[in-house]
Amino acid sequence: MTEISVSGIVEIIKKRYPSITVAEPSLIKGVTSFKASSGTDYLGVIRAFKEDLGFEYLDFLTAVDWKGAVDARGYIMDPNPNPFLPEGAVEQSEVKANPNFQYRDHFEVVVVLSNWKEKLKAAVRIELTRGNPRLPSLYDLWKTADWQERETFDLLGIEFEGHPNLKKILTPDFIQGHPLRKDYVHVKDQYD
Amino acid sequence: MIETHSSSLKTDQMFINLGPQHPSTHGVLRLGITLDGEVIVKAEPDVGYLHRGTEKLCEVRGYHHCVVVTDRWDYVSAMTNNLVFCLAAEKLMGLEIPARANYLRVAMCELNRIASHLLFFGTYGIDIGAFTPFLHAFREREMVLDLFEMVCGARMTYNYIRLGGVMADAPPGWADKTSEFLKYFKTKLREYDDLLSFNPIFLDRTKKVGIITAEQALDWGLSGPNLRGSGVSYDVRKTFPYSIYDKLDFKVCVGEAGSCWDRYYVRMREMAESVKIVEQCLAALPSGDIMAKGVAKIPTPLPGEAYAHVEGARGDLGIYLVSDGTSCPYRLHVRAPSYINLAILQEALVGLRVADMIAVLGSIDIVLGEVDR
Amino acid sequence: MAVRIERVPGGEFALTTADFFINWARESALWPLTFGLACCAIEMMGAYASRFDFDRMGVIPRPSPRQADVMIIAGTVVKKMAEPIRLIYAQMPEPKFVISMGSCANCGGPYYDSYSVVKGVDKIIPVDIYIAGCPPRPEALQFAITKLQEKIGRSSPTRSALATPYQEKGSRVW
Repeated sequence: MTEISVSGIVEIIKKRYPSITVAEPSLIKGVTSFKASSGTDYLGVIRAFKEDLGFEYLDFLTAVDWKGAVDARGYIMDPNPNPFLPEGAVEQSEVKANPNFQYRDHFEVVVVLSNWKEKLKAAVRIELTRGNPRLPSLYDLWKTADWQERETFDLLGIEFEGHPNLKKILTPDFIQGHPLRKDYVHVKDQYD
Repeated sequence: MIETHSSSLKTDQMFINLGPQHPSTHGVLRLGITLDGEVIVKAEPDVGYLHRGTEKLCEVRGYHHCVVVTDRWDYVSAMTNNLVFCLAAEKLMGLEIPARANYLRVAMCELNRIASHLLFFGTYGIDIGAFTPFLHAFREREMVLDLFEMVCGARMTYNYIRLGGVMADAPPGWADKTSEFLKYFKTKLREYDDLLSFNPIFLDRTKKVGIITAEQALDWGLSGPNLRGSGVSYDVRKTFPYSIYDKLDFKVCVGEAGSCWDRYYVRMREMAESVKIVEQCLAALPSGDIMAKGVAKIPTPLPGEAYAHVEGARGDLGIYLVSDGTSCPYRLHVRAPSYINLAILQEALVGLRVADMIAVLGSIDIVLGEVDR
Repeated sequence: MAVRIERVPGGEFALTTADFFINWARESALWPLTFGLACCAIEMMGAYASRFDFDRMGVIPRPSPRQADVMIIAGTVVKKMAEPIRLIYAQMPEPKFVISMGSCANCGGPYYDSYSVVKGVDKIIPVDIYIAGCPPRPEALQFAITKLQEKIGRSSPTRSALATPYQEKGSRVW
């Protein structure tokens, strides 16, 4: 591969994977986003990025829970206590959903890749249903996916098939649930 | 690779637990190590002993409040953390930063890089068994902290870089004091080389130890001095320039073999480059505003997503920020370089002698606050 | 407190109370455990290093809990770390003292609402001195050490049952 540009990548990917949609305008500012619809497509398009298009570096892998405003019961205390607030004033950063925003009952996994030679970045995204979020692991492509997928599993509960060692990494064993899910409710333990 | 099994003499394996309280793990890292005699057959880093759940906390804090939380990820170079969050949030809000604020930001980040690498230099000396570099490094580090104290009053958690600019202008006399320090520091860099870098004992313990090849480094997603130590010339400041780095003249320091010494020496040379950058910033420091006009007290950016990343002291530090149009970030993900760099220990330690373990762990230069967030 | 040392004229002897002598020995060589958790640990290291130089106060960091008198909880105590801290505290020999350094260790600090942070190390182990700040400056740690020395000076090891401040039943009667 000698010269590639954003439009070139878009064409190549569209030709090979007709089911992939390119998000217009770009969802992440400055990063072209490709939306996959199935797990095999997701793995295939990332493999194509790595092996044919020179995106040899996995920037990060994470997920977003699009359920809606975060549940305040996920915090041990009231997140915004303000004893100095005058009567009738509005809290500075209250947790409230935006009525004009389209929340949906899905997780979205976001993978950002870099091509350093051409100074390009691309994002591959896939929406997963809330009931059974499963996705093929990227461990075979990059070993760095090991811990990043474990973190995503630990904090958001997305299972990666084919991961050699998918278990909790950051939270202690007795914390139940996946804290970064928007509907996470904290269960009191011995230290609260 | 050292042969771990001999067919004639079969020995039992031994499990060793290192940490979470151990003077050489730079915080609260736990390493489970399986040994065969003196050779490591399996290494399992166990993190999470400093997991504070900050990504979740940011979801109920306003954008200005999040800057406070960013300080405490990589507490050794907090300025870059402030910067990366502000860059991401400014991308969302479309703020234009005044030139003076940009120069001040870069000068602070580079000074902070010096402070951070000095801490590495001191503690790595202790890891290898030399105590004197620690005292030398902290002597100079205190001087850098004095400079920070002049501008923002804090020694470690600065909260100096704010959305739209910086908190306060540099006070009168700060620029002079900084150039005085830089002049003094350049002589000290040569002293460090005499003291530790080319010390024969230090060379023996680090030069051919813990070699990470370029392929391995890319596979494990290393970044920063660890990646450059393996000979890959990737620096966010050059490849994806942010702020004013495209106007500045500096070199990307690259190592050769990917050994502990290469990673160490990349950092030492980076300090000299940082000195050059700060000097350029001071020389070209424009006058004018330090804060963009019209930054809301409670910013509510339009729904959207942004990814900003900078070259932190430990590598490619990025923030993925999602807004749903409310006053708090909807989702904030930190691409923490220490976390990603640390994972390579699973592979890099296998086959080494147990005595080299601390040399490798120290040369990766992790900050547990950033590993666990 | 009155001067408790009395010279015997002409001799190589000095008279003092056992309490004063034991306290003097304890307070002038407080060896803390090198045990850093988070940001405050860097300030703690700064306190041991060139400019602040804790050695002159007899404070020399020890890497093993078996050799330490003081545990400085320097940083955020998270739930995963709570059990190891309790273990390390149990491994320290009597008499032992705890300094809680920084807002996180005092009460959770900036992480007061986090699902994974212990809201104050005093929920796990008894604390003698609290230092405010995020992180406290090395001078503040120095002040805490002098306060701890004063506190030790007020105790009377010979009069309490076990001659140690932390008694078997868990009470903290001095």
